[in-house]
Amino acid sequence: MNKLFVVGLVGMVLLTSVSCKEDPPAPEPEPVDTVRIDLQPVFNGADLYLDSTYTTVEGHNVQFTDIKFYLEDVKNGAVQLTDAMLFDYGARGSLLYDGNGTAANFGSLTANLGVGSANNNSDPSAFPNDSWLNISNSNDMHWGWNPGYIFVKVEARVDTIQDGNDLFDQFVVLHAGLNENLETVSFSNLNWSSVGSNRHLLSMELDMSEFLQSTVNTIDLQFENSTHSAPGQETLTTKVMENFKEALTP
Amino acid sequence: MKYVLISLLFLVFTVIIACKKDTVAYEPTPYELEIPSHFPDMPIPADNPMTVEGVELGRKLFYEKKLSGDNTMSCGNCHSPQSAFSDPNQFSEGIDGSIGNRNAMALINLGWDSFLFWDGRAKSLEELVLEPVENPIEMHEDWSNAISEITQEAEYRNMFYRAFGDQEIDKYLAAKAMAQFLRTMISGKSKYDVIYKNSNFVPLTPEEQAILATVTPEETAGYDLFQSLNGADCFHCHNGPLMRVEKFSNNGLDATFTDLGRADVTGDMNDAGKFKVPTLRNIALSAPYMHDGRFQNLDEVIDHYSHNIQMSPTIDPLIEFANQGGVQLDQFEKDLLKAFLLTLTDEEFINNPDFQEPE
Repeated sequence: MNKLFVVGLVGMVLLTSVSCKEDPPAPEPEPVDTVRIDLQPVFNGADLYLDSTYTTVEGHNVQFTDIKFYLEDVKNGAVQLTDAMLFDYGARGSLLYDGNGTAANFGSLTANLGVGSANNNSDPSAFPNDSWLNISNSNDMHWGWNPGYIFVKVEARVDTIQDGNDLFDQFVVLHAGLNENLETVSFSNLNWSSVGSNRHLLSMELDMSEFLQSTVNTIDLQFENSTHSAPGQETLTTKVMENFKEALTP
Repeated sequence: MKYVLISLLFLVFTVIIACKKDTVAYEPTPYELEIPSHFPDMPIPADNPMTVEGVELGRKLFYEKKLSGDNTMSCGNCHSPQSAFSDPNQFSEGIDGSIGNRNAMALINLGWDSFLFWDGRAKSLEELVLEPVENPIEMHEDWSNAISEITQEAEYRNMFYRAFGDQEIDKYLAAKAMAQFLRTMISGKSKYDVIYKNSNFVPLTPEEQAILATVTPEETAGYDLFQSLNGADCFHCHNGPLMRVEKFSNNGLDATFTDLGRADVTGDMNDAGKFKVPTLRNIALSAPYMHDGRFQNLDEVIDHYSHNIQMSPTIDPLIEFANQGGVQLDQFEKDLLKAFLLTLTDEEFINNPDFQEPE
């Protein structure tokens, strides 16, 4: 009887120890490749800051107050990096993109400067929450009155009266969009730098002095200061899109 | 043999006890938000999921006068349902008779806002609701006192338990509950919503079709003016289903500032005179207007944008007609614009029994 008791006791102790054994630790997750793209606005070679004063070639002092734009369907060949990127210098500084991606797959990139017609004519509430096309994220880059998204937005104040007084008397509102104004951009030989394990950084530049004085067009903010891509504003809208494309460089 | 059986039973019992997990015997019910089809999804913080029990507790706390120093004032005092959950007074009066310097904002669709208060100093609803209780010119109560007071009631203890389990009851838990309640306060059933959906090719229900048929020529013309670059030019800051963009703007109220607004938070004088752009939903009910409640009615607001814009260094460039004092609407146009603004009233929202003070 004692023997049976001892065997039973040992058996139950064993059962207790086994049944309370913790689950083995979960395997380490596979490292995920991530990339970040920074874009620094500059003016005449120096970093540009919102609300700071710069001088155009026409001699006008200008303060940029807002710079935003969309890159959509950002990819290299068949490999897409992301559906859309939204640059918002005022809200997020120089950050253009931060997310999953393997830098080695993106030695070159192409994208729409703006939003292609398929997405541009869609319900902006229907995009996933984490998409920059979702109206919660697009914020004032989605038009209510005009179809689709604003592709490129540049807002500023200009002092057009050269009397030595800092009176910024002219407002600049350049809002370019609509399907017919979509541009594409293409960057090759991209120089990604490693900034940690499985993480790479690409630095780009937006030259706002070139935006005003590109090899293609000149924009004189004293006289060319307002477009909402409405009828009658086609010329300036085209200049905005073409010059902005020229001003973007890796 | 008897001892063996007893020992075995004892050990089996020991096994069961030893391996039992620490479980919390509360069963919160997920709360399904009624988000209109033309709205984006609402972002919900991972550490504060919506539950029926949490919302119920938050609503009770919202109307709880014991959260104030002398038990006379609740959040609902300055955010009255009939005023679109804002204060019809220019400035709210605190329990000590102190008067603030900003108008209480309307509580509408806040679940989509990523910054709150006129100067954007709160970045979440959980952060927002903590402030008025301790603000000396508002409810002027220490949170620990308030929590101590309400948790003397078994009903509150039970409600906290049903909502959050056996977590320690503190101001942060109270804030989570009130934030949940505020997220349920969704306004998306005005006549404007039908106009918006129709304009954006969102299918309408038969009921909405019937509402669309009641839209008057004046309301339609007012909407056209609202969206016109050479008309009222309102849409730059007020558009989409939420009827606002998320930004801070100096809309030309003053040439010099007695209230620095956003600059008080950022310390950047480039933000002087800028305030959060509010939604225009239920605008007819949320008078007075502007951050300091200076305008008593919509006519005064429309007059401001038409003729009285003041230039200043930080004025928003989107006020494109500032140089001429405003958009220069004539009286006929003003009346049309006002007719459209009235379509933003959502009676169902205002009268929703789920948002009223609980019995």
